[in-house]
Amino acid sequence: MSDTEQSRPARRFTIGGALLTLLTILAAVIWFIPIYWAIVTSLRADQATVTEFTLWPSEPTLAGYIFGITNSKLPIWYLNSTITSVVITFVAVFTAASTGYAISQLRFPGRRLLWWIILASFMIPVPALIVNHFVIVANTNMLNTYQGIILPMLLTPVTVIVYKGFFDGLPKEYREAAVMDGASEYQLFYRVFLPMNWGVTTAMAIITFIGAWNSFLWPFLAVQSEEMMTVTVGITAVQDAFGVAYGRVLSGAVMASLPVALAYLLFQRRVTQAIALSAGIKG
Amino acid sequence: MASVELKSITKSFGAVEVIKGLNLSVAEGSFCALLGPSGCGKSTLLRMIAGLEEVTSGKITIGDRDVTHEMPAKRRVAMVFQNYALYPHLTVEQNICFSLSLAGVSKAEQKTKGGQVARLLQLESLMDRRPAQLSGGQRQRVAIGRALVRDPEVFLFDEPLSNLDALLRVQMRLELAKLHNELKTTMIYVTHDQVEAMTLADKIVVLDKGVISQMGSPLDLYNAPANRFVAGFIGSPAMNFVPATLRKTAGGLEAELTGGTKFRLGDRAAPSFDGTRRVEIGVRPEHVQLGHADQALITGRVSVIEQLGNTTYVYADTASGPMIVEADQSVRLSPGDTIGLNIDTDRAHVFDETGMAWPSVRSAT
Repeated sequence: MSDTEQSRPARRFTIGGALLTLLTILAAVIWFIPIYWAIVTSLRADQATVTEFTLWPSEPTLAGYIFGITNSKLPIWYLNSTITSVVITFVAVFTAASTGYAISQLRFPGRRLLWWIILASFMIPVPALIVNHFVIVANTNMLNTYQGIILPMLLTPVTVIVYKGFFDGLPKEYREAAVMDGASEYQLFYRVFLPMNWGVTTAMAIITFIGAWNSFLWPFLAVQSEEMMTVTVGITAVQDAFGVAYGRVLSGAVMASLPVALAYLLFQRRVTQAIALSAGIKG
Repeated sequence: MASVELKSITKSFGAVEVIKGLNLSVAEGSFCALLGPSGCGKSTLLRMIAGLEEVTSGKITIGDRDVTHEMPAKRRVAMVFQNYALYPHLTVEQNICFSLSLAGVSKAEQKTKGGQVARLLQLESLMDRRPAQLSGGQRQRVAIGRALVRDPEVFLFDEPLSNLDALLRVQMRLELAKLHNELKTTMIYVTHDQVEAMTLADKIVVLDKGVISQMGSPLDLYNAPANRFVAGFIGSPAMNFVPATLRKTAGGLEAELTGGTKFRLGDRAAPSFDGTRRVEIGVRPEHVQLGHADQALITGRVSVIEQLGNTTYVYADTASGPMIVEADQSVRLSPGDTIGLNIDTDRAHVFDETGMAWPSVRSAT
C-alpha cells in the first residue's frame, strides 16, 4: 500500500453515512425554504402573495422594494443602522482587545477581580438587563439618540474572553523581545500584540458588526422616533403602517439583511473562524 | 563592549531560592557560556542580566554602570531568544529594524543600518520575507540581526541553537564564533550543551542548583574538574566513575577497585587521612586503553560498540560497573567479547564522598 493510500483511506459507502448525508441535506433545505420564500414573495405583486404558491412568481415585480424605498424612511434607517453598527464594531472590538490585553499581559491590583466580573457579566442574558439599560438611558435623556442605541451594546464580554485567550497563548518571548527593544506598553499593544492577532480582530469585527446590524430588541426600546430607527426596527413600522402587506414587509426584510448577507459572503472564512473562536465560550 | 559584574546575586520565586549568592565577572569582549542542566538557574541568571527578571538581592554592573534596577532597554544589552521571537507580521527588514523604528530613527537610517546587518549576516536577499517563509537557520540569523542592529555592549544568548537540527547547529556555532571574532563584543551564552560551551566560549561557568560549580577555560574544566558534577557534565561521552577504596602506602596513594584490582595513583593534593577512604575514581574514555584480558588492570565484557568512523566507543560491563572506552577505529570487537582495560592512572581523577576532586599534581600545574 502506498503512503497516499495509507494516509487517505478510501471512502466506503455505509448506510449510516448515507442517512447522515440525507439528513444534512434535508436540514439545509428546511433552513433555506423560508429564506427562498421570503425572496420570492418580495418579488410578487401584493395580491399574488396570498394567492400564488408557485416556486417563482408568474409576474415578478420590484414594487415592494420601490415602495419601501420611496414611501418609508428606509434610506434613513439604513444610515442609522450603518452608523450604529460601525461605531459599535469599532468601539466594542477596540475596548475588548484593550481589556483582553490588559488582563492577559499587565499586572495590576484588581486584575483578577476584573476578570471575574467580565466572566460573570456574560452569564447574565441581555434581556435581563434591558429594563435597567432602558431606565439609565431614559434618565440620561439618551432615548432616540445614537448614543442611546450604541452605549448598552458596547458590552461584549465574549470578545474580551476571546482576546484574552489569544494574548495568553502567545509566547512570552514576543513581549520580552519588544521590551528589550524599548517598546512602551502602547507600542507593545499597537505594534506587536494587535497586529499579530489581525485575523482574530477581523473575525471579531465581522461577528460584532453582524450582531449589531441584526439587533432588534434594544434599538426597538431605545428608539420611538421614525428618524432614529434602525432597519430592523423600521421594517416593523412598515408592517404597522400598511397592514399585512407581505410583499412590502419581506422586501424590507431582504433589504435589511442584505449587508449582513454580503458581509457573510465576503468574509465567510473569518465568520466561521469567529464562531469557532467564541463557540466554546458561548456554550 | 563592556564587562559584566554580578555581585552576591540571589533570586527567589516565592520560597524557592533558584540563585544563591552568586558572584561572577565576565571580562570585556569575552565569550562566556553559562552551562548546566535544566533547572540549574542559568536562564534566570541571563534574564536578570537582561532586566527581564528582578534580582531578589545583589548588584549587577555593566561596564561601570549599576544596572540592577535599570529598565531592560536602557541596559545596552541585546538578547537572542531560544524560539527567536521574530514578529510574524513583520518582514525580515522590519524585524531587524524594529528597535530603531521604536526609537524614532528615520527610515533612511533604518535602511542603512538594517542593510549593514543584513550584509554581515548574509540576509540581503531575504529582507522582504516574513519569518514563516524562512528556514530555522535563517530565522536564527534574523534574530541575531535584530540584536546586532542595536549595537549593544553585551549580547545575551538563551539557548539559541537548541531548535536547530544537528547539522545546522554545527554551522551556526561556527558562524557565532566568527561573529564574536569580528565584533569582539561581550557575549553571554546560556546552553545545556557542553559541546557548544566548549567550542564557543573562552570562559565556562558551570551552574548546579543555583550556585557556580566551577568556572574557567574549557580546557581547565575538562582537565581539572573541581567536582564530580563538573567532571560528569563536561565531556562526551561522559567520564567513567568507579567506586574505590583509597589507602596511603609508602609509595603514594593506592586505589582498590571492587573485585580486588589495585593500582597506584599519581601524586595529588589529597587531604591527610588515616586508614582507608571511600572515593570514586573518574577516568575519561580516552584515558582507558584496551588490552589483553589476562594482562590488563580490569576485565570486562563488551555490551555495545559505537563506530563513529574516526573513533570507536566500546561500552563494557566490568566488576566495578559500566565503563566506556574510546578506541581506535580499527578495533574489531563484538558484543559479548571479553576485553581488558588499562587506566592511565596519572590522568585519573579522585572524588571524595562530598564529590570534591583531589586534583592530581599533574593537572593542577
